[in-house]
Amino acid sequence: MSPLDLAARPAEKPLTAAQMLKLYQLETADLENIQSFGESVVPRLDDYVTRFYDWMETQPEFEQFFSDTEKLDRVQRQQLVYWQEFFAAKVDEEYLDKRRVVGEAHARIGLPLQVYLAAMNVSMKLITGNLYKSGLSPDQYATSIHSVSKLMHMDCAIVVQTFSARVNRIMAEQNDALMEMSTPVTSIWDGILLLPIVGIIDSSRGQDIMNAMLAKISKTRARVAILDISGVAVVDTAVANHLIKITKATRLMGCETTISGISPAIAQTIVELGIDVGDIQTTATLRDALVYAFRATGVEIRQAP
Amino acid sequence: MQGIHNAEARIAIRGESDVARAIVQARRMSQAAAFQTVDQSRIATTVSELARNILKYAGQGEVILRGCVGATRRGMEIIAEDSGPGIADTDSALSDHYSSGGTLGLGLPGVQRMMDEFALESEPGAGTRVTVRKWL
Repeated sequence: MSPLDLAARPAEKPLTAAQMLKLYQLETADLENIQSFGESVVPRLDDYVTRFYDWMETQPEFEQFFSDTEKLDRVQRQQLVYWQEFFAAKVDEEYLDKRRVVGEAHARIGLPLQVYLAAMNVSMKLITGNLYKSGLSPDQYATSIHSVSKLMHMDCAIVVQTFSARVNRIMAEQNDALMEMSTPVTSIWDGILLLPIVGIIDSSRGQDIMNAMLAKISKTRARVAILDISGVAVVDTAVANHLIKITKATRLMGCETTISGISPAIAQTIVELGIDVGDIQTTATLRDALVYAFRATGVEIRQAP
Repeated sequence: MQGIHNAEARIAIRGESDVARAIVQARRMSQAAAFQTVDQSRIATTVSELARNILKYAGQGEVILRGCVGATRRGMEIIAEDSGPGIADTDSALSDHYSSGGTLGLGLPGVQRMMDEFALESEPGAGTRVTVRKWL
């Protein structure tokens, strides 16, 4: 995705704390339930960490992520803080930010999302089972569990969102990198430029091609340019429009552009679309375009005797 | 390989990269269905036009590609739908060089020329659906 495309599709704006609470139907009573449930659980969190890592060690990912003890120590401490904050149940912007940091950290080390979710599942079981030692009535207990699971779902969702936002960001960056590589305007002879286009031309790429061509013309003072589109997947009206504009703009700079690589299929679709190519020079093959370019620049090709 | 008559692909169109995905998918399906090169090109171009229209006029929508079976022949069906502003004047939209978007104004009439069957349904404020077919 190019910067233009990114602007057209803005990154989803994260929800505010109030919106998140509403979305996950977390009401004041829920947060109070979580806090009072936490009074029984928080003092036993050390026990939770021990049991949690008993489980974690059975996972194939354990060695990969927690091989050194120092790192393990640090992660365990962060985990304690995480649950203390969870049971404080103070859901504000800071709380959400911290959850995003957690997601970002897991995504960065490449922890599979399913391991994260499985770990949250195990945590839920430990917290509501082994750790819980309090005298709530069955009804109160059920209500508390319900509140706890709402907040856990919200936390998980934030982490999942952070994971997918990261993937989208990487895709956008790769797309940009691809675009930069995809407009290699080359000076193949004195006064002759060649730009082979492969793939799909969208509006931002059309603009990139235009910019690259014009910049190169002004730099090399080329008189002839060849735009080879034999590798282009589709020439629809938008693409044709781009090509027409590019040839017009180069002409204004004193450079005549030939569009080469018009296949029989492309020729027919252009006619059926009803596009008026006007006086644009086009050829079936790159070879024809080259011959034309040499002639226009006064170069003569002769077979060596 | 899956027969064309029961193959279906639905592509949500929200950005330029989705248009590219739809074009690539249309290429693959028309190739698998053994359409001639020219028809493959017509189908890909049609998908490109329709998907770009969705993006330009409605912002988002969906392109559905699927095989279809007629009385005596097989073919491919392309549906492009959105819940955008719709087309106020469908007759004009289907005539050459008419554009409400400042472009060539050849997209829809071009699609109509390239395809064998063409249907445009649109209601202002409710969206647009274009259904086209190309027979083998």
